[in-house]
Amino acid sequence: MTKPIDLPNHLRKIAHVFVDESMQDSPIANRVRSRLQNTAHADIPWTIVSPEANRVEFDEGEAQALYLKEYKGKFLRFCPGTRAYHCCGYRIIHIGENCPMACSYCILQAYFQDRILKIWANQDDLFSELADGFGADPNTRYRVGTGEFTDSLALEHLTGYSHDLVGFLNDFDNVALELKSKVVDLSWMQATTRTDRVLPAWSLNAPFINEHEEFDVSTLKERLEAARTCAEAGFRVCLHFDPVIHYPGWREGYAEIIDMIFDYVKPKDIAYMSIGSFRCMPQLTPIIADNFPDTTYIYNEFVPGLDGKARLLRPLRVEQFTFMVDRLRAHGMDKQLYFCMESTEVWNEVFGYAPKSFGGLGKRLMEQAFGK
Amino acid sequence: MQLSNETRNAPANAIDSTGNHLFWSRTPEESLIKSISDFGQVAPILVRDTEHGLELIAGHGRLAALHQQGSLVLMRMVNADTDIEKGLLYMTDNSQRPLDDGMRLAALRYFHPLMDTKGLQSDIMPRLGVKPKSKDAKLFLAWLELPSIWQANLVAGRVPLAAAAPLARMDNADRSAVEPLFTSFSWSRSNAVNILNWLFKSSKMTDSPVADVMDKAGMNDIMRQGLSPKDTIARLTASANEARYPELSKLQNHFATTARELSAGTKWRIIQPNNFETNGAEITIQIKDAEQLLQAVTDLEAMAQLSPWQEIWKLGGKND
Repeated sequence: MTKPIDLPNHLRKIAHVFVDESMQDSPIANRVRSRLQNTAHADIPWTIVSPEANRVEFDEGEAQALYLKEYKGKFLRFCPGTRAYHCCGYRIIHIGENCPMACSYCILQAYFQDRILKIWANQDDLFSELADGFGADPNTRYRVGTGEFTDSLALEHLTGYSHDLVGFLNDFDNVALELKSKVVDLSWMQATTRTDRVLPAWSLNAPFINEHEEFDVSTLKERLEAARTCAEAGFRVCLHFDPVIHYPGWREGYAEIIDMIFDYVKPKDIAYMSIGSFRCMPQLTPIIADNFPDTTYIYNEFVPGLDGKARLLRPLRVEQFTFMVDRLRAHGMDKQLYFCMESTEVWNEVFGYAPKSFGGLGKRLMEQAFGK
Repeated sequence: MQLSNETRNAPANAIDSTGNHLFWSRTPEESLIKSISDFGQVAPILVRDTEHGLELIAGHGRLAALHQQGSLVLMRMVNADTDIEKGLLYMTDNSQRPLDDGMRLAALRYFHPLMDTKGLQSDIMPRLGVKPKSKDAKLFLAWLELPSIWQANLVAGRVPLAAAAPLARMDNADRSAVEPLFTSFSWSRSNAVNILNWLFKSSKMTDSPVADVMDKAGMNDIMRQGLSPKDTIARLTASANEARYPELSKLQNHFATTARELSAGTKWRIIQPNNFETNGAEITIQIKDAEQLLQAVTDLEAMAQLSPWQEIWKLGGKND
C-alpha cells in the first residue's frame, strides 16, 4: 500500500472543506478534491453549504477549514491606503480571505477571527470582471496583486489559483501582476508566457523575526532561492521588508538579511522593494498579545499616527529606515526602494526626496513594474 | 430547587448562617435594624431543613438583625440540595440589591468551582447584569484567575474591574511590585489602568521586572516623600508614563521648554499636535477684543524673530 503524501507544512491544519452548493462542480472544487487524493488529508470531511445558510461555522481548536465560496462582491479593488501617508496605488485582485500561516504581526488576525480559509471558487465571474476592467482601455496600465487579504501562494498547492490567473492575464499587456508570499510554490510559472508581466514577490524580515514571529512559513533562504530561480527564468522579483520591527539587535538582524539578498539576486533583478515599519489598528495589539504571549515588540514606543493606526515613534522609524536604506544603497539599490505608507517628512529625511519630486509613488512603481 | 409554601418560626441561633453561598452577607444596616424594630419582620428568610439542622439560604441581614433583638425568626422553607441551587436562590432573593463589581466577582467566585466557563457566562453573568460576550464578561473571567489577594482588592474597591487586563499579564513578582500603589492610594479608574499598563509594557519593552522599572523611574522614592495623595498620584502617573515612552517624553520635554522660551510673556500657546508624526507646531490664542488682537499680532511678530523656532521645526526627525 502506498504511503499517503503529506501536504506542505502550512496546509496540514486543514481538517475540513466547505463548498457552496453552486460551486461543488467548479474547476477549483474538482482540483482541490483531486489534489487531496492520495494525501494524508484525503478523508477530511466535505460539507456542501446550501444557499440558505447564513454563514459557515467551524471551531475545532487549531484546525483550519477551507471554504470554496461563490463570491458575490467586487473582485478588483483599490488598496485600502489612507491619504495621510504616501500610498503605492496598488490594485487588489480579491481571490480569497485569510491565511493558513501564523505571523504574530499579521493584520488578518483582526480582520478574520475564525480559522476558515476562503477561496472565491467562481473564477469565471472573477475573470469576467477583470476582462471588463483591464480590457476597457489597453493603454491604461494596472499594477495588481492578490496578496492583500490572503497570501498569494499559500493555497496554491491545492487550488492552483495563481496558475489560472497568470494564464488568464497572458492576454493583457497592460497588467503587471505581483504574487506576494511567504511560502515557495512556483507551479504558476508553467502557465505564464509573460516573464515581464508577472512579479513574484516575497516578504523578508530579520532572521530573528522570521524565527520568532513567523510560523509555518518558508525560511528566508528558501524564499531567496525561489527569487533566484525566478530571476534566472527571466522574471524580475519584488521584495518587501514589511513590517520592519524594532527589537534588540535589529541592526545586526536587518544587516544580515540585506546582505543575504544579494547572495541570491542582483539589484537589476529586483523590480521594487518596499520598506514599512510595523503599524496596526489599535485593536490588533491585544489580539497579538493573546495569540502570541511571547511577542514583545508590540510594547515598543507606539503612538497614534495620522491615520489613527499605532506607529513607532518617528525618530525610531527614521533611525531604522536610514540604516536599512544606506545598506541597500551600498548594494546598488536605488529607484526600486520605496516606503509603504510613510509621510513626506520621513521620505525626505531618509531618501533626501519625496514622491512629489518624481511625479508620485504610484507613477514610479508603475514604471518599475512595467520596466519603463 | 423550589420554594415551598411552608413557613415556620425558630430562634435565630438555631439557624446556621455560615454557608459559602451567602457571598454578599455583611453586617445589617441601621435602617434594616430600625425597620425590624419598628414593624417586625416583613418578609420571611429562606431556610433549608437538613439532617444537621436549619441552614440559612437567604436573608442574612434580617437574621442578624433579629438575632440582635432576640426575636423569633419567620422562615420560608425551601428545597435546595446542591450548592448551585443554594447560590441561585440566594442571588434571586437578593436581586433588588444594587451591585458593584466586587459583589459580582464575589458571586462568580462562588460559582466558579461549580461549573465551567460557558455555564458562568450563560447562567450566572446575566443574573449579575453582565452580558455573556461583553468586555466586562472577559474581564470578570480574568479576575477569577488572579490571586485571591488581588480579588480582595477588587472587592474592597481598591482596583477597578478594567485592571484585570494588565494584572493578568503580569507574573506574581510584578503584581507584588505594584501592590503598594493600590493599598496606599485611591485611584481613578483611568489612572489605575494607565499606570498598570504603562509599567507592564515598559517592563516588556526593556525586558526587566516591573520592580526595576518602578525603581528606575523613582516611583518608590515618590511614595516615600509624604506628599498629599493627589500630588503623589500625579507624580507616580507622570513617572510611569515617562518610563513607558522615554523617547517621546524627551521630545515632549524639549518641545515644552522651547515653546515656553518662545511664548514667554505672551498669551500664545504652542503645542505639537500629533506626537511628532509631522514637523512643526500648532500655535493658538484666545482673543476677547480688538486691543488683545493687536497685542497678539505684535507678540507674534516678535516671536517670529526668535531662533528657538529652528529647534521646534526639526524636533521628531532623526533621533539624536
